[in-house]
Amino acid sequence: MNNYETLYVLKPTLTDEETASNIAKIEEILVREGAEILATNRMGMRKLAYPVEKNERGVYTIVYFKAPGTIVNELERNLKFNEEVIKYLTVRYTKVKEVIQFEKLIAAVIKREESVKTEAPAPAVAVAVATETTEA
Amino acid sequence: MAERRKFKKRYCKYCESKVDYIDYKDLNLLKISLSERFKIMPRRLTGNCKRHQELVTVAIKRARQTALIPYIVDRKNVVENPFELIR
Repeated sequence: MNNYETLYVLKPTLTDEETASNIAKIEEILVREGAEILATNRMGMRKLAYPVEKNERGVYTIVYFKAPGTIVNELERNLKFNEEVIKYLTVRYTKVKEVIQFEKLIAAVIKREESVKTEAPAPAVAVAVATETTEA
Repeated sequence: MAERRKFKKRYCKYCESKVDYIDYKDLNLLKISLSERFKIMPRRLTGNCKRHQELVTVAIKRARQTALIPYIVDRKNVVENPFELIR
């Protein structure tokens, strides 16, 4: 069992439901293959540094999971064939320092999710809108 | 030879802040080692230690693959506020 982190970018043209269903589909693949999903970080819409398949923006999602190594092939095969996914990257965390960092990342994601649940999600949205206007 | 060294030789900023692992999504850490055209700065200019330079090199290359930072910035491919797109 290894620690993995997969980042994938979905097309910006999808509606919220389509995005959610795509994320669910990818998590379903992981669960089916016997992975243990530790955390999911939805970074949301971001500007891409360079156009990818003529898209200027993308919806970033990161999945942290624990799984045997054979799963990566199957996951990346599915991501490759999914037309809504424009970028993906899987990173393995094995060395001691890397694993410590991995656990820190997961803790940060879980903590933020909890804070979002308890507080109103309005401030985060306001910040996102503000940054977008400064970019444009 | 007059302007041989544009930057003063400095200490390693990652050692100073005791970074153990450089995450490719943490763009504020990568920013230290990027030039304004998003090239990887050499160690002789940034003063990074060898261990952290190796870590940051891998992290920058991963960030480029995931479109978090651009591969190149040139006249055809202008970024208005280079470091604005960093969170």
